[in-house]
Amino acid sequence: MFDKESGLLQGTVELLVLKTLTWGPMHGYGIASWIESATDDVLSVEEGSLYPALYRMARKGWIKPEWGVSDNNRRAKFYRLTAEGRRQYREQSSGWRRFTAAVDQAISTRTAPAWARQS
Amino acid sequence: MSDTPGRDYNFVPAKPEAEVDDELRFHLERRIQQYIDGGMTPDDARRAALQRFGDMKGIRDQCAQLLVEERRAEARRNWLDDLRQDLRFAVRSAVHAPLFSLLVIGTLALGIGANAAVFGVVKSVLLNALPYRDAGKLIRINAPFHNGGGRGGLSAGTISDIRERQKSFVSTGAFEQPDDAVYDGGQPQVIKLMWAEPALFRTLGVSPILGGGFRDEDANHDTAAVAMVSYGAWQRLFAGDSKVIGRVIRLNGIPRIVVGVLPRDFVAPMDTADFYFPMAMAPFMRNPITVRGSHHFGMVGRLRPGVSTAAAQRELTDIGAELEQLYAKDNLGIGLAGVPLRDDMVGDIRTPLLILLASAALVLLITCANLAGALLSRTISRRKEFAVRIALGAGRGRVVRQLLTESVLLAVIGGGAGLLLAAVGLRLARGLALGSLPHYADLTLDPGVVAVTFAIALATGIAFGAGPAFAVGRSDPQGTLREQTRGSSESRRTRRARGMLVAGQLALCVSLLAAAGLLGRSLWAMMTAPVGFNPANVLTFTVQLPNPQWSRPEMQLQYYDQVTDGIRTLPGVANVAIASELPMMVHNSNGLFIRSAPWAASEPVPFILTSIVSDDFFRTLAVPLLQGRTFSTTDVMDAPPVMVINEAMAKRYWPNGHAVGAQVHIGPPNPKAPWITVVGVVGSMRNDPTALRPEPMMFLSTRQEVYGSNFMVRTSGDPLALAASVRRVVGAIDPTLPMFNVSALQSVIDQRFATRRLPVVLMTAFGALALVLASVGVYAMFANMAAAREREFGVRVALGGTRASIAALVLRQGGVWMVVGLALGAVGVAAAARLLRTQLYGVPPFDPLAIGAAVLVLLVCAGVALLVPVRRASRVDPITVLR
Repeated sequence: MFDKESGLLQGTVELLVLKTLTWGPMHGYGIASWIESATDDVLSVEEGSLYPALYRMARKGWIKPEWGVSDNNRRAKFYRLTAEGRRQYREQSSGWRRFTAAVDQAISTRTAPAWARQS
Repeated sequence: MSDTPGRDYNFVPAKPEAEVDDELRFHLERRIQQYIDGGMTPDDARRAALQRFGDMKGIRDQCAQLLVEERRAEARRNWLDDLRQDLRFAVRSAVHAPLFSLLVIGTLALGIGANAAVFGVVKSVLLNALPYRDAGKLIRINAPFHNGGGRGGLSAGTISDIRERQKSFVSTGAFEQPDDAVYDGGQPQVIKLMWAEPALFRTLGVSPILGGGFRDEDANHDTAAVAMVSYGAWQRLFAGDSKVIGRVIRLNGIPRIVVGVLPRDFVAPMDTADFYFPMAMAPFMRNPITVRGSHHFGMVGRLRPGVSTAAAQRELTDIGAELEQLYAKDNLGIGLAGVPLRDDMVGDIRTPLLILLASAALVLLITCANLAGALLSRTISRRKEFAVRIALGAGRGRVVRQLLTESVLLAVIGGGAGLLLAAVGLRLARGLALGSLPHYADLTLDPGVVAVTFAIALATGIAFGAGPAFAVGRSDPQGTLREQTRGSSESRRTRRARGMLVAGQLALCVSLLAAAGLLGRSLWAMMTAPVGFNPANVLTFTVQLPNPQWSRPEMQLQYYDQVTDGIRTLPGVANVAIASELPMMVHNSNGLFIRSAPWAASEPVPFILTSIVSDDFFRTLAVPLLQGRTFSTTDVMDAPPVMVINEAMAKRYWPNGHAVGAQVHIGPPNPKAPWITVVGVVGSMRNDPTALRPEPMMFLSTRQEVYGSNFMVRTSGDPLALAASVRRVVGAIDPTLPMFNVSALQSVIDQRFATRRLPVVLMTAFGALALVLASVGVYAMFANMAAAREREFGVRVALGGTRASIAALVLRQGGVWMVVGLALGAVGVAAAARLLRTQLYGVPPFDPLAIGAAVLVLLVCAGVALLVPVRRASRVDPITVLR
């Protein structure tokens, strides 16, 4: 799903992970499941590729891994948003909105450019 | 989700692959479970989950790789965090125990400062390369004088003979001792001038930084007169102008063309000069009297490749022996010798410097012993703190590291403070050492010294931090904690270690004090032995008469008379005299030949200090006349030559008291010269400060042997107050003649002793330093001993022990070590006395006064240091201690 070949931008995966973790600490499986359901399974191929993204984000200090116990009493690695991660989320989400709004506005416009207009 | 633990130093993280596997397996299991719950068979569920996950192996490797990197980065972050934490803690604990910290820093600063300063001096004098090409190959050739010792000059004939015979040297160069001259650059100034063969510069391997320098033919009198200028004089007199080359300057009234500027670091093998003139030996060879009779040239040779110093020395000795046979009249008893140029330039200061270096090393040893003691007791008193920290989960490694950080921090601060002290010390030494160190030594803290100092500081810090640190590493926290503080005193082992440290300090300290005492007594003997004249209230100055206008002796005499007459009329002036050298500065010696008692062929000619003085010289300096008369106005050039000798000479050569009336020749022996009659015997004046008993000396009259320029004016008050009016008198007679070296005779004489003062001052400083450090060591030992047994003393007092018995207990325990220290010290004192033997004048090496005083001072200081803790121990209040 989050593979480079899937056409999804690296930044997009990171933004989605950050969004997920704003609800609270969660393990990789939970993050993948939430993103899939939140995107109506549109992004549901090769969910394993989420993990390298998680490790990279941990390396950048946006999220912090901690071992904890899951709801079915199994030891699991949880990821928690750091202060830096929270800041990243605010920046990236507003950036994404401006980006998509701009792209959306462009592709939904009906006014043709001057060179395409027949006089 | 449960709480997760924070960072834990005992937590060993899983291998990266295992951790990644763990995480991915959890993901798969949850996904499989979800599919099974949705109605799939386990096998189908597994397949579907794996497919949805993607490239399992690739992802796993990628994640493991990322995790390894992250772990590494975190370790680095933690290390820095720990260091910051350790440092903060170290600063806090240093501030928390200010006395201890100040003790350690101060001790280290003194120890390291002393070492850095002395090492700076030693390095610049003994270790730095001389500013010559391949300086190790240079040999100074001189005349050793078999009877009196010393390093005499060579005659022109000897130099030419050496050149004909020698095979050891590729080149040799001769030179003369620098002399005062007048440089006329608008305003006449006195400068130092040195004559040297062009070959000297080639031999030394020195080329000018500007200009072509001397060519061999420059030394011939028929070519244009040229000169080279030293870097210092180039800056001072010509403002570093590069157009100075080719310029015509006037020195002693003679025009010369500047042909070279010498490098900044250039120093001549003897004293440095401002200007160098090319010298040729040929004219000296033409004078039949002086060719072999006047021994005043210096000579340096460069060893031929493959020739050893020893071989060259052997060859020179052989040539010297041959010349003694061939020219017995002039060369008997003189000989020839070769000394490596550096040794020659280092001169007599070598032994004092090495002694100082050894002393500084001893001070450093005492410093280290002191630090070891201080850190030892501090660790003991902090044992509980460390036990608690280990019990609370701090790793032993972390505690050890913490301790090391603390001691290194203190060491670095101490080292820095030591460098500051060393810089100050070197500045002081520069003032003190002026004239007592070789002229090429520049006393600066060089990077090498700084690096060595910091290495010492770090090594000390680590060495004395490590011991206690490993003791903590070994210690058993439970035991330490259970012990409580009740009843636990120092272990026998630490007590003995501390005792040895103190004993060692005392031994080193008493050796240093004894050495300082011996040198001090020697200096005292030198300074208090009567000089044989009265230097108080005498103004001295020099007027240099440039050659061409004043070449005729009558003119010089007339000038001297004019000046002395003019000065005598000034109010407050009692007497005026002229001499070739000031008293205690005579360096000119001449061979003595007595008319009625010629030397046997096997007997070397004695060389006697000779000074040329004016009629009033003895009156001016208050030297008593013992027999006959002194010089008078009748002893003119055409009258029979006369001589005055001192008592030491009269006693030595005319033991029966018939000196007056004796007739002598003084070397160079010229059979055609008239005999000189001894007309008087005066009281002996000392010349060499280290010779406590005056040497034989002879005096000639300025009226018969015109050679003056040093004036002495006896006044009724402060001599320097008269300087201005004397200057006016001298200026009125001839304003172009500069008057220089104006000072009080007393300070000239003091300066003469200054050379001897430097080692004594430094040695005394080291002794005092050692004393302070050792006293602190003694205090610390007794204080700790007493504190550790406080509870026991309380019990003793409660059971009826008297205060005196407790004081005796502490004293006995520590006194043993003081006795051991003094016993070891006796060995040290013996070694110091042996080492100093050659440096002592007028004091036996085992001078009871100096050594007794050293022991006494040490005992008094140690006594005071131990009094406080012993008093405190004997005042223990059983109720407070036992509660």
